[in-house]
Amino acid sequence: MSRRSLVSLVLIVAGAVGLLAASLAVGNSPLLGLDLKGGVEVVLVPVDDPERSETVTPDDLDTAVNIIRNRIDGLGVAEPDVTRQGNRVVVQLPGISDQQRAIDIVGQTAELRFRPVCTELAAEPLTLEVDDEVDDVAISDTNDDLATDDPVADEETVGDPASDGVDTEDDVDDETVDDAVGDPVADGVDTEDASVSPVPPVLPPAELDERGLAACPIDLENIFALPSSTAAQDQADSFVVLPERNDDGEVVRRYLLGPANLTGAGLSGADSAFTNEYVVIANFKGGDEGSDKFDELAFECFSATSFCPSGAAGPGRVAIVVDGTVEVAPTVNAASFSGEAVISGNYSGDEAEDLALVLRYGALPVEFQDPTDPQSDSTSRGVSATIGSDSLRAGVIAGIVGLALVFLYMVVMYRFLGVIAMLSLGVSATWLWVIVAWLGETQDLALTLAGVTGLIVAIGVSLDSNVVYFEHLKEDVATGRSLRSSLEQSFKVAFITIFRANFASLIAAVILYWLSAGSVRGFALMLGLASVLDLLATYFFLRPCAQLLARSSSLMAHPHLLGLPTAEEAMAPASQKL
Amino acid sequence: MSWFQRLWRNQTKVNFPELWKKAFFLSAAFMLIGIAALLVRGVNLGIEFEGGTVWETAAPNIATGEVRDALREVGQVNAKIQFVGGDVVRVRAELDSTDAASVATVSAALSALTQQSIDDISFNSISASWGGEITGKAIRALIVFFVVVAIYITLGLEWRMAVAALIAVAHDIVITVGLYALFQFEITPATVIAFLTIMGYSLYDTLVVFDKNRDYQRRSALIGRATYTHIMNLALNTVLLRSVNTTITSVLPVLAMLIIGTLVLGAVTLAEFAVALLIGLLVGTYSSLFVASPAAAWLKERQQSQIELRERLEARAQSRGITVQEVEAAAVSGSSTTSLSAADSRSQPDRPAAKRPGAARRPISAGTIIPPRPRKRKRR
Repeated sequence: MSRRSLVSLVLIVAGAVGLLAASLAVGNSPLLGLDLKGGVEVVLVPVDDPERSETVTPDDLDTAVNIIRNRIDGLGVAEPDVTRQGNRVVVQLPGISDQQRAIDIVGQTAELRFRPVCTELAAEPLTLEVDDEVDDVAISDTNDDLATDDPVADEETVGDPASDGVDTEDDVDDETVDDAVGDPVADGVDTEDASVSPVPPVLPPAELDERGLAACPIDLENIFALPSSTAAQDQADSFVVLPERNDDGEVVRRYLLGPANLTGAGLSGADSAFTNEYVVIANFKGGDEGSDKFDELAFECFSATSFCPSGAAGPGRVAIVVDGTVEVAPTVNAASFSGEAVISGNYSGDEAEDLALVLRYGALPVEFQDPTDPQSDSTSRGVSATIGSDSLRAGVIAGIVGLALVFLYMVVMYRFLGVIAMLSLGVSATWLWVIVAWLGETQDLALTLAGVTGLIVAIGVSLDSNVVYFEHLKEDVATGRSLRSSLEQSFKVAFITIFRANFASLIAAVILYWLSAGSVRGFALMLGLASVLDLLATYFFLRPCAQLLARSSSLMAHPHLLGLPTAEEAMAPASQKL
Repeated sequence: MSWFQRLWRNQTKVNFPELWKKAFFLSAAFMLIGIAALLVRGVNLGIEFEGGTVWETAAPNIATGEVRDALREVGQVNAKIQFVGGDVVRVRAELDSTDAASVATVSAALSALTQQSIDDISFNSISASWGGEITGKAIRALIVFFVVVAIYITLGLEWRMAVAALIAVAHDIVITVGLYALFQFEITPATVIAFLTIMGYSLYDTLVVFDKNRDYQRRSALIGRATYTHIMNLALNTVLLRSVNTTITSVLPVLAMLIIGTLVLGAVTLAEFAVALLIGLLVGTYSSLFVASPAAAWLKERQQSQIELRERLEARAQSRGITVQEVEAAAVSGSSTTSLSAADSRSQPDRPAAKRPGAARRPISAGTIIPPRPRKRKRR
């Protein structure tokens, strides 16, 4: 037995035990799905009752359900349950006990807006001198924009007119904005720039022309001290200051943006594509609904007029804003796009897909009441499992009984080799548990009844690898090869078969994961994991174990202990038949 | 030697080509029943696909089991029961919300159980939670998968096997789904996952069988002396125990799930799910031996070289007045004394090789032969 295989044996066992211990120590456990454990639901009630309103139709609600489902799927949360119950949209998320988090995930009725960029600003507004009137509300508001650790940060409520006029702590009306700046406490930075006037800048109201555009106030005094706009201020027809965030949600820069003349409703679709690099192609609806509006905006930006002044990179830029955050602000490279715009910017495939997702699903056709608002009809609450605990218990008992039977069968059939097969299964099952628990913790991968059953079948497939090997072994021994050399030789041949079959499963898993959505995706992940682990366990556990066996002379002298025929039996005349 | 002993030693003498003919009619019959059931009865899609009605009512101090018992009495065995925010019970059932009489029956049952006034039991329509888009994406993914797997098998084995493997997978799915249509089991997202599992399993099993077959087809001792079918028959006999064992180890947990699921009253979903998997697993193994293999053999024997080979063997058989099978068997056992089966050679103690097993002698075992350049390559 080579040293390398001994090392692999030790590594895979120690790895399994160590990771299991580590995983238990940090309290990772598989996230159980809605059917097994329940979770949190968010009920969204439309602002306008579709039965009385003429602007919202039941079809709009169905579209909203699809968009919300896609949004949640796009975030990678496995197996939510999104339904329309009457006029309400009910979103159930598995395994989440924190209701605020559920609301964050479901998100708000964000409207996607196209706004011209007036100018780029630093991530934090420059601080002006101390203003005596420090308003608590304003402080918390400024903080929200700078640090995003507050779960009720502004960006979740941005663009939701439902909260207008309703008194929540986040609602700041225009009067208090004056106090929002000039607060050194909020930033913890002393005034550095003496030349900056203590008068806080205020954005002028936008004077819209017939196209819905307005000339930028770029000569505004102290423009760099402009605070970020609040949710209430983020209106389509006014100037706003909105942040752009990195993947961790930190503000990287902010923009002073002009009024939006076009919303996500003007898009007919968006998709990522690969030409020379990953790009996002946005398609606009024809005519006045989308394409013309975008061309009007593009013309101003390309010509770098005062509506959309020139940026550092030449022509002006168009910002695409969702949820009070600038998703992307590309430079406009043409005056007219005739319905199709290609957004490029060194994206990775994932980034391009994410951006396309935002463009596609950014806008909901229905406005919902804010679930964080205690006075609205929208709510969030905990829900129980849909499969009764008795069924779950029955399933667990069945699993244990089934496993015991399998163990018994393998031992009867293959004796000592059977024990090794079960050990191999144990090793791969431990790895699987650790990985599933880790994915549950980090990626919200939920284990549903279907997933668990998939794993039960995976047990069968995993044992199959062992059986393929053992049968090869038996055949080799029957042809007269010594047991010791057969152990090594059969593995090589059997592994080719095992690899070929598992590789097909892996192909299935990758394609299904890549192209599908919802619970099919969850299944694909399980299938892929099980296949890879089966291969690893076979190569790094079963093989070294077989080599260890080969060193035991007592086992080699008694092939029956391995469920193999003895040399005499192999010679028996009955075996002549083929 | 008993049949089991022969099976245990991979020395069964099952005449697969003979069984294939019977299996063909069996499979055809089952597939026809499945397709007919699909066309006539259709599938019973669950609430996740079709939507239905949802009831909500306060239900303090009432357990899930009690609600389920009450619902069973009004015929809603598959209803989903969920407690919302503590003591509000929500029942979702696959029932058209415009069907006032049926809705009222359930409302009345809930009212009687929870002691709430019937006016306090709200009901509403509920949409599907499995969006059409998910189905569309899944179908697209499956098509891509079939194409890629076909290419993969073609590269690894050969295109005839790819076609045969996909036929087998289709066969399994038609029979399993047909079964669901026939007995009107409810199809839930979990069932769809079960179907996918079956598909993966069937494919895996078929590939193991095909790999063995290819292994045998490459053995120099057999090339040109027996038909493709005959060699496949030999391969299937060696791989039979593996198939049996694998099926048993896969089926045992599912069987346990079925039995316990049936015994425990609430676990209807579990029991139906187990039935789907059980049938799927059994059919998956069956199809590897009795659908994929004959399909591959049938396609292969259409090849010109195979036709010529068969004609040669037939001519030889005629000249000796025996059947082709006997010629093949003679060729195989004749060659086996030297290369195919070392067991035979060992039965002749005067051969020196028998005394030093595995050393000088290179018996033809799957791993050790260097496959000769298969002649078919040239013609491909």
